[in-house]
Amino acid sequence: MSFNSPLFFVYLFFVVCINYTIPLRFRHFFLILASCVFVGYYNIGSLIVLVFFSLFNFYLAKNCLNKRFVYLGSIFLNILAMILVNYFKILSDKIDFPVEGVNFKIDSFIIILGLSFYSLQNIAYLTEVYFQRIQAETDILKYILYCSFFPKAISGPVMLPNEFLPQIGKNAISKEQLTSGFQRVLVGLFKKMVIADRLAPSISPVFDNNHTYSGLNVLVATYLFTIQLYFDFSGYTDMALGIAKMLGYDLKENFNTPLRSTSVSEFWRRWHISLISWFTKYIYYPVVYRMRNYKKIATFIGIILIFLISGIWHGIGFTFLAWAICHIIYLSFELFTKRFRINLSERIPFLFYKIISVFIVFNAVCFSNIFFRAESLTKAFQLISNTFSFSNFVPNHWLYFIAPLAVGGHQMDEFNFYISIFIAVSVLLFERKFNRFATSGKYTTGFIVILILLIMLFGVFNNGTRFIYMQF
Amino acid sequence: MERLQQVFRRVFRNNHLVISSNTSTKDIKMWDSLTHLELIASVETEFNIKFSFDEVMSFNTIVDMMRAIEKKIIFSRKDEF
Repeated sequence: MSFNSPLFFVYLFFVVCINYTIPLRFRHFFLILASCVFVGYYNIGSLIVLVFFSLFNFYLAKNCLNKRFVYLGSIFLNILAMILVNYFKILSDKIDFPVEGVNFKIDSFIIILGLSFYSLQNIAYLTEVYFQRIQAETDILKYILYCSFFPKAISGPVMLPNEFLPQIGKNAISKEQLTSGFQRVLVGLFKKMVIADRLAPSISPVFDNNHTYSGLNVLVATYLFTIQLYFDFSGYTDMALGIAKMLGYDLKENFNTPLRSTSVSEFWRRWHISLISWFTKYIYYPVVYRMRNYKKIATFIGIILIFLISGIWHGIGFTFLAWAICHIIYLSFELFTKRFRINLSERIPFLFYKIISVFIVFNAVCFSNIFFRAESLTKAFQLISNTFSFSNFVPNHWLYFIAPLAVGGHQMDEFNFYISIFIAVSVLLFERKFNRFATSGKYTTGFIVILILLIMLFGVFNNGTRFIYMQF
Repeated sequence: MERLQQVFRRVFRNNHLVISSNTSTKDIKMWDSLTHLELIASVETEFNIKFSFDEVMSFNTIVDMMRAIEKKIIFSRKDEF
């Protein structure tokens, strides 16, 4: 039951209505039940693991105070669970993940829905309790809701305990929250069905076929993949935040127009914010704090660690390792050239500096995403060598360029491709205005009607394709 | 404040940098997660003090840092007596 499947919307309608009408004191019981049905419908194994891990971490947190061994042991077990799931993902007989244009391979029997995400929340909770920054939760039901709350259970955002637990039981729902939540869900659906899913078929041939494409084709497909990934994941996040809002909860923002970043470090403050702030708080700062007398070397080691772990978190394999190495190189470069770049930005016109910086950062991120998307390291290197091959950069005929991107050489396919590009670029250009509408509590009939029309006219209806980040 | 300003100028390699108690991480382009702990290490050396991890994580403005420094210096003087 993916967020964009028709069945989910029927389910969501009933959950929101019931949650709104029942008394406040029963709401968290009801939401636990609704979350268990949601996770259990996908895979009963996931539900068992989720409940087991919630109980396990709840009791360990109560007993870990001043017991270093218990604390470290419980952290180790949570990490082990994440590694094992990733390890089995690559060991088991793989089947194609049924996403049009996104052929990530995952074994449907092994995948434990959202484990990587709620393990991070469990580790955060144990750490906060162990270091006495928060008190251990006494109500087990509240803790189960913190772990299982279905809008964030599959792919985040990663909520820290002090951000979510205090909201339980205080979730009076206003009409503004319902309106703004509904608008946000529509925006998420639009991003997924009208932008991400429409771009997917243009990317797939270049990344998944063995045919040698021209450099220009690879370049365009690589740009489009970054845009697809952004709209797929930020669309998912919009839906998660919108659904949570309608149920009376505020989840953390995960994106803040990241493709407009002027540096890679800024990009990481704007892309998948909840995950990166988790890594920064629980890995980067503790390590660099202990080594702070080594100054820049400590920061450098912190960067290496955070991205190696982030790479492993996304999946065990050389492609994710290469993706991580790209970002280690980018951030290290920025660390050692920061003063120079600031001086440069003050000497040349601001707009010029900004445009050039955004262009460079976007290209750097796209380059690293070749490794993120490619099935193997060999394929990634083949794509890179195609891009930088001068003899094969421009295709001999226009048809050779447009046919793989438009998935067919007919005029209609070409027209469809241009529509996809036009919509994606328009939203990127007016993103801030678009987001303001999405988060506004004011009921905007025009905005809602236009979004629904666009979804009906240009949306890809294929019974709820999965979101890319569901695999992690 | 004068000593703290000198540390900021040294770490961020900017001789014209002026800080006030209201200055925050948002006001200084160089002050971000990549340079924060380098700055902390230099402040610790300058004032011969040690910050705890939670203190370091709570510094968002100069005033947060100054309060922590004053507290540490007062405590260390009391220990001397």
